[in-house]
Amino acid sequence: MLKKTIVFTGIFWWLLMMAVIIVNAQTKLGTVVIHFSHTANQQPLQFNDSVYANDFGERYTISKLKYYVGAFKLDEKNLSLGFDKYVLVDANQTENKIIAQLPEGNYHSIQFKLGVDSTDNCSGAQTGALDPLNSMFWTWNSGYIFLKLEGNSSASTAPDGRIEHHIGGYKDSMNVASTIRLADNIAIEAGKAKDIYISFNLDRYWNAASKIKIKETPVCMSPGFLAKTIAANFNAIFSIGSKTITY
Amino acid sequence: MYISAKDEHHQPSPLKFDIPKGWPKPSKNIFAKNKLTEEGFQLGRKLFYDGNLSADGEVSCASCHQQFAAFANYDHDLSHGVNNALSIRNAPALINVAWMDLLHWDGAINHLEVQPLAPLTNPIEMGESLENVLKKLKKDTAYIRMFTAAFGDAEINSQRMLKAMAQFVSSLVSSNSKYDKVMRGEAQFTDYEQRGYETFKRNCNGCHKEPLFTDNRMRNNGQHLNKKLDIGFQAISLRSEDSLKFKVPTLRNVQLTFPYMHDGHIYSLFQVIDHYSKNIDTTQTRLDPILKKKINISNKERIELVYFLYTLTDSSFVRNNRFAADHITTIKNPHHPQLVN
Repeated sequence: MLKKTIVFTGIFWWLLMMAVIIVNAQTKLGTVVIHFSHTANQQPLQFNDSVYANDFGERYTISKLKYYVGAFKLDEKNLSLGFDKYVLVDANQTENKIIAQLPEGNYHSIQFKLGVDSTDNCSGAQTGALDPLNSMFWTWNSGYIFLKLEGNSSASTAPDGRIEHHIGGYKDSMNVASTIRLADNIAIEAGKAKDIYISFNLDRYWNAASKIKIKETPVCMSPGFLAKTIAANFNAIFSIGSKTITY
Repeated sequence: MYISAKDEHHQPSPLKFDIPKGWPKPSKNIFAKNKLTEEGFQLGRKLFYDGNLSADGEVSCASCHQQFAAFANYDHDLSHGVNNALSIRNAPALINVAWMDLLHWDGAINHLEVQPLAPLTNPIEMGESLENVLKKLKKDTAYIRMFTAAFGDAEINSQRMLKAMAQFVSSLVSSNSKYDKVMRGEAQFTDYEQRGYETFKRNCNGCHKEPLFTDNRMRNNGQHLNKKLDIGFQAISLRSEDSLKFKVPTLRNVQLTFPYMHDGHIYSLFQVIDHYSKNIDTTQTRLDPILKKKINISNKERIELVYFLYTLTDSSFVRNNRFAADHITTIKNPHHPQLVN
């Protein structure tokens, strides 16, 4: 009797698994292409030459803007980035594009993490996007710089009027990895590619939940209170648009 | 010592990491994603002794971590970097590093593999950029051969370099001092040493725990703030309760690793003992509770204690040719008889 039950249970599970496999095979995949673009004062961000002003009237130029993104999700569906878990977005590149496949359907939000998980901050020498060669790793205080923004401003009190914001921190109270969630109707159709345009608005970097005045905080070079204050604006920086910004 | 270029199907030979009997397991992750191999170890050793890793070609890891000083910097309170720069802390001895979760006096480094990035890029130490180091390695045919031997192909990248260095440094295990021989029943303490051991167990074992002779924790041992205003772990944790906390160093080979403390301001073991028996700054609010009461020790016990500490000297460690610069080594590799020196 017991044996029979085991055999029947076995057959039942086998059938169920086959059903799951067949359903999976029938799921049609579409492609999503996520583009990152960067603006300041409603203009496409130009490096070094263009002078921008923040909401506090401080004028500045930008020479570097890089940040880590990862853990992309459309609704609850994780997007696989292939081999790498993170992408290092460099605003000075002509294109920052992430391509992934996912089941067709209507999605209502896109979510991603700005920063690097704590485990990946403590796992030794890494390669790819997390290679320390990318100058996004603090050598004297192990951990990744999640976002690096450098430039110049007449308002800066640092030598040569520099702006140097190296924002990171993975330890409990210093953790600044931020989950960004943007609502949008995203229809993924089988066999087709859907573009999503995510815009990084530098105006909000200075002025959102926290008021970051260049005069007061031209430099942030380590995890801690200041990094947390600046990172409080991360959520407001990003928005979703319908088309890419042309350069 | 190189593998023949014709040998395309070469696999690096695994090395077993021997945990001395009765010792705890090494720190998590040390070998999890970095398989210890003979070829990886040899590559790590070459990198460790290579001055080309510094900006001026003069400063190698071994400049400040000398084998005869148990991989500390002999007779140097602080160490010399490129351009006659002087470091701000005493070079710690590289002994049993595989058991350490945090590295550096201030506990700032969270994994052995990323530790070399700190001295490599620090302008007062090796003053070089990672990019430049890799450029130099890629031009060197010996390195191309050795990276191939260690990792299966000729790609030279930062991850491979750092993993090879971690393989060498984590292999620096010292477990064959007179103390170890006594514990294994192969030798006996003299009466002085035995009484020194009793004194040690009464007064020092709280932080310098056997068998590693450190608990690898961050503690405030009652030193004054030095002129460099070095607040230690507090600068990393950003917590005031961590003021003047430094990592407890191992006492293994302590006879060879002078001068002592994070800034090397104490030159003799007797003075170190005096620090704990007389000179602790008990007014410090963050002083480790274990040290609130100064150590009460007679002059005789003080001498006996030093005799005991000398039994922690491991001459087989400081004279081990496998840990020395490249010239006097042989590789044992039964699968590859064509290995040549």
